[in-house]
Amino acid sequence: MPDNGPRADTVTLTIDGREVTVPRGTSLLHAAETQGTTVPHYCYHPGLSAPAQCRICLVEVEGAPKLQPSCVTMAEDGQVVHTDSPAARRMRQGVLEFYLVNHPLDCPICDMSGECKLQDYVFDEGREHGRGREPKRVFGRDDFGGDVLYYGDRCVMCTRCVRFMDEVARDSRLTVVERGSRAVIDTFFDSGLEGASFAGNVVDICPVGALVSKDFLHKARAWDLDHTPSVCTSCSQGCNIELHTRDNLVQRLMPRENQEVNGHWMCDYGRANYEWMNRPGRLEAPMAGRGGERRAVDWKTALEHLFVRLQGGTGDVMVVGSAEASNEGLAALGWVGEAVGTVSARVFRSPRADDEEPLPGYPLLVRRRDLAPNVDGAGLLGFERAGDDTGAGGLEAVAGHDGIVLVLGDGLADQDVRFGASAGLFVYLGSFDSPAARNADYVLPVTTFAEEEGSFVNAQGRVQRFWPGLRPPGSARPAWLVLGALAAALQGGRTPASAAEVFAGLEAGCAAFAGLSYDAIGESGVRLEAVHG
Amino acid sequence: MSEIQFRNPGWAGNTGEFDLTEADVRGTDYVGETQLDGGHPSVSASLPYMLVEKNPEAPLFEGPYQERFEKIRSRYPTARAALLPALNLAQELRGHISPATMDEVAELLGLSNAYVRGVATFYTMYNKRPVGRFLIQVCTNISCNICGADEVLAAFLEHTGTEPGETSSDGNFTVVEAECLAACGFPTCVQINSRYFEDVSAADVPAVLERLKSES
Amino acid sequence: MAYPYRHEKETLVLSECFGDPSARTVAGWKRVGGYQGIARALEIGREATIEDVKASGLRGRGGAGFPTGLKWSFMPKNSSRPHYLLCNADESEPGTFKDREIMRWTPHQLIEGCLVGSYAIGASHCYIYLRGEFFETTQVMARALEEAYAEGLVGKDILGSGVDIDITLHVGAGAYICGEETGLMNSLEGRRGEPRIKPPFPAAVGAFGMPSTINNVETLCATAHIARHGGEWYRQWGTDKSPGTKLFCVSGHVNKPGNYEFPLGFPMMELIDDVCGGMRDGRALKAVIPGGSSVPIMSADDCRACSLCYEGVEAAGSMLGCASVIVMDETTDIVKQVRRMAHFYAHESCGQCTPCREGTTWATRILQRIEDGRGTEDDLDTLVQISEQMTGTTICVLSDSLAMPIISSIEKFREDYLALIRRGERVGAA
Ligand SMILES: Cc1cc2nc3c(=O)[nH]c(=O)nc-3n(C[C@H](O)[C@H](O)[C@H](O)COP(=O)(O)O)c2cc1C
Ligand code: SF4
Ligand code: SF4
Ligand code: SF4
Ligand code: FES
Repeated sequence: MPDNGPRADTVTLTIDGREVTVPRGTSLLHAAETQGTTVPHYCYHPGLSAPAQCRICLVEVEGAPKLQPSCVTMAEDGQVVHTDSPAARRMRQGVLEFYLVNHPLDCPICDMSGECKLQDYVFDEGREHGRGREPKRVFGRDDFGGDVLYYGDRCVMCTRCVRFMDEVARDSRLTVVERGSRAVIDTFFDSGLEGASFAGNVVDICPVGALVSKDFLHKARAWDLDHTPSVCTSCSQGCNIELHTRDNLVQRLMPRENQEVNGHWMCDYGRANYEWMNRPGRLEAPMAGRGGERRAVDWKTALEHLFVRLQGGTGDVMVVGSAEASNEGLAALGWVGEAVGTVSARVFRSPRADDEEPLPGYPLLVRRRDLAPNVDGAGLLGFERAGDDTGAGGLEAVAGHDGIVLVLGDGLADQDVRFGASAGLFVYLGSFDSPAARNADYVLPVTTFAEEEGSFVNAQGRVQRFWPGLRPPGSARPAWLVLGALAAALQGGRTPASAAEVFAGLEAGCAAFAGLSYDAIGESGVRLEAVHG
Repeated sequence: MSEIQFRNPGWAGNTGEFDLTEADVRGTDYVGETQLDGGHPSVSASLPYMLVEKNPEAPLFEGPYQERFEKIRSRYPTARAALLPALNLAQELRGHISPATMDEVAELLGLSNAYVRGVATFYTMYNKRPVGRFLIQVCTNISCNICGADEVLAAFLEHTGTEPGETSSDGNFTVVEAECLAACGFPTCVQINSRYFEDVSAADVPAVLERLKSES
Repeated sequence: MAYPYRHEKETLVLSECFGDPSARTVAGWKRVGGYQGIARALEIGREATIEDVKASGLRGRGGAGFPTGLKWSFMPKNSSRPHYLLCNADESEPGTFKDREIMRWTPHQLIEGCLVGSYAIGASHCYIYLRGEFFETTQVMARALEEAYAEGLVGKDILGSGVDIDITLHVGAGAYICGEETGLMNSLEGRRGEPRIKPPFPAAVGAFGMPSTINNVETLCATAHIARHGGEWYRQWGTDKSPGTKLFCVSGHVNKPGNYEFPLGFPMMELIDDVCGGMRDGRALKAVIPGGSSVPIMSADDCRACSLCYEGVEAAGSMLGCASVIVMDETTDIVKQVRRMAHFYAHESCGQCTPCREGTTWATRILQRIEDGRGTEDDLDTLVQISEQMTGTTICVLSDSLAMPIISSIEKFREDYLALIRRGERVGAA
């Protein structure tokens, strides 16, 4: 390399005997991660500043006089690093022992048990027997307000929670009070986290069971939960999340890292909004017949009869979609409408909040005004917004239409029992029954996003996939499967067997999605803009 | 207990051994009167904020104190840096830092009240509760300790009839244990409000308390 | 008679005016040559001033002994950002009481030192961080600073040189850890006084995120004299590795405790036996902590040949620190005193680092149990191991500062511990 040339932007070093090359400015902790070694850490969190205070990530760097905190020590060319040398291991054992001197070890009743970093590290490397003989310090429990409860005795003083509120939420409602071993995390006396919009994240980032969710308290053990990658449906930001489920119920939502959408975070509004996914009283079987004539039928019968009626329809079709339906469901809805005639209305309704709520320290993440996940997808697929900001109204023409009316995913909560009364054919696809579906000729039970595969387009124009985390009730099916089958029958195509196949059809038929494959969307999504260059 | 033979005139005046008066040692003549408005801005943050008379209801900050506060703020590139001086000033006026005071100071400086609580609780000199008219802080750290500081502390507790941290029933005295006060050559060092009383032995305690009472 | 206590062997550079109330004024300070140091510095320029301080070999008097000139030379040369000089007047190290004496007798000595330091590092603002307990001292400093402003010695265009240097007194609120340089910066900025992780070092990112240098009171005062007389002049005293004079704060069981100024390298026993009038009541020497409580304890034997300079005390198994010589006689209960020290460090730990937060408290409780007669011999091993786990593993060295006295006391005074553990016998108990 010429002397006056630019500095190489990578460095090569040796970690535990293996050579690794990483970008300049990478911490040793990250560099070790790239070769599969996780150095234990508490205070370090990739979304926060690094105070290097927990001292458990110390590693040996040859030539350095002391062990170095790997979270803030930058990788340098030619460094020789040992994360597991006797000195490093002895130090970790020592730090862990210090953590346990006053730790209550109440794992059997601690919500974090099973995913707790103290438990994990001590199990891996702790001393077999603690030497502490002194009585333990007791702080007790403190209600921080909002959904957050603090167990002071379990706290490892990593200050992640304080830094999250300071740096990311920019709402310094948490602080370390007192100093030394008398220090605890606290709020300003009686005023706490209530009303803070992003405070729930502190529970996620707490490496131990010191901050727990009141909502989740003692609800489930970590090891009993299944994790399903998904997307939050509470606004058009589409934060990447995981559904944590047990016994076919969603127990909680947790953010899933996506640096282009939500970082490590999600808002409290979205986090709290999951009970509806578990709501009983679902539509479980297809039904045919209006009003008092309604009777349950099987899917085969329902679809065969519907197919016949659609073929002989009037040719003027109005479709009502929903910004909560998947791209695949909405596309298939459109195909069905187009297959039977002229679509004279193609609308969706969706509530809008008065304002949006950004996460100041992570400005990419904004709780959007649109309180539904697929407003943009609906738009790209040709659906026009109707109704007002509460998600009501705007269906006057549809309500009295005398042609074919297809409704997917709109609960018609504001509509009365006359809705669709004059329709030649009225098909209602939903997860819950609605009084306004009384005139439907067919009521078809469809799955919620939590029970199906599919994709949404968020406010950034990013296509994001979700996966089923719950078993559907009764014989509810994904809308894309039901409508895809009908469209295929009407158009003479192949019945799609998966959301991917519906997406392939959508990609072929809709310019906005051209060039994008379902597989390529993966777990972290793809911006449509990026596909089109 | 061995008799301490030499007396630093830091507290009680000339013991006869030195030509210095108490005023010489404390520099009171040179210092002169305390200026409520804080004097020159360079020194506005320096105050004897442990005056005897306190008013927990005193407003933050009015008249000369408002001026002093403005001068303090002018000396730092950030508002946050004025936090410790502002809390000092609040304690000078009110005697202790209550939650309401933290809230007011936070508001004045544009900080969060939780943050101010975090800072205020870090520093031991902020009284989080009201204390007596005389806050008696007895150093029991090593240099004083090996010269009998524990006995001095015990004597203060005995003669004021209090437990550590508790205020005497007449509201006059609160006695606490203190860490090294940087007067180790003159054990035992006792800080009483803003003054150091050095070379205090257990036997001196009644006289010290008498003097305080007579001053108040 | 002069202020307590003086000895004819002393070399009075910094402490010449101790006990002389008239030296507190600008006029009084000028009478003994004051403000000639800053005048000469302004004349010879920044670089030459730093060179002088480098040549003097002056080492920081705050405890670490880092060469002052070298520290000053780390400051960026041509940066347009503000630079700050921070004067560490937080003096809280147990056993140390020299900065208070300097400030209350010779406030202008420190003001001049701050001017020299500020000028050399290109700082236009210097903050003097005084510990909150120093009300009286602060009042003297405040009066002196007002006077210095009025005389045009501080502020705009100092001494008609065109150079602007402001000085501000900043008062702490009770936290030993604010004496640590980065803890001080956080405290100055209005934060919890928690030390910061280094790097970045203060010369790059210091107070308010700007290049900063921090020096102890005594260090800065010495630079005022060095600026006046030149670097070589300072080397007439002391040893090659420890040039100059130093204030020794002697406390404990001697007849005449106090601050004494000697060239570095002065023999420890001469200081105790001669200068300080010998041991109180003629008792035998048991132990000495030579540098403030944060350094290893020395046994009487260790002291015999020890000379008080950085390398001399190191050779004797301890550290000079801030030369705060705590003298303990045979009646001293070492276990109790180590427990008291542990209590101090536990009380003062800022609590960020796990080994320090938990270790200092745990060690205190074990020591308390031993002192209460409920200790076991295993406890001593545990204490040593805890101390080792607290060494070299934290952000600042407060944690190490307790480890050293614990390890050294168990090593050197194991018998005292065992007497308590095995037989319930307390040394020095009445
Ligand atoms: C826990 C701790 C406390 C300290 N307290 C003081 C102090 O009170 N005064 C002081 O001058 N230096 C103190 N120091 C040393 C400072 O960190 C720093 O080294 C010194 O102020 C630098 O000045 P110098 O180079 O002039 O010595 C302390 C260091 C530590 C680790
Ligand atoms: S509550 Fe949790 S996140 Fe906050 S400091 Fe304690 S351990 Fe860390
Ligand atoms: S910002 Fe929107 S997408 Fe993200 S968690 Fe909140 S409601 Fe859900
Ligand atoms: S070593 Fe102790 S005092 Fe120093 S930063 Fe860590 S916890 Fe704070
Ligand atoms: S993760 Fe590095 S010190 Fe905490």
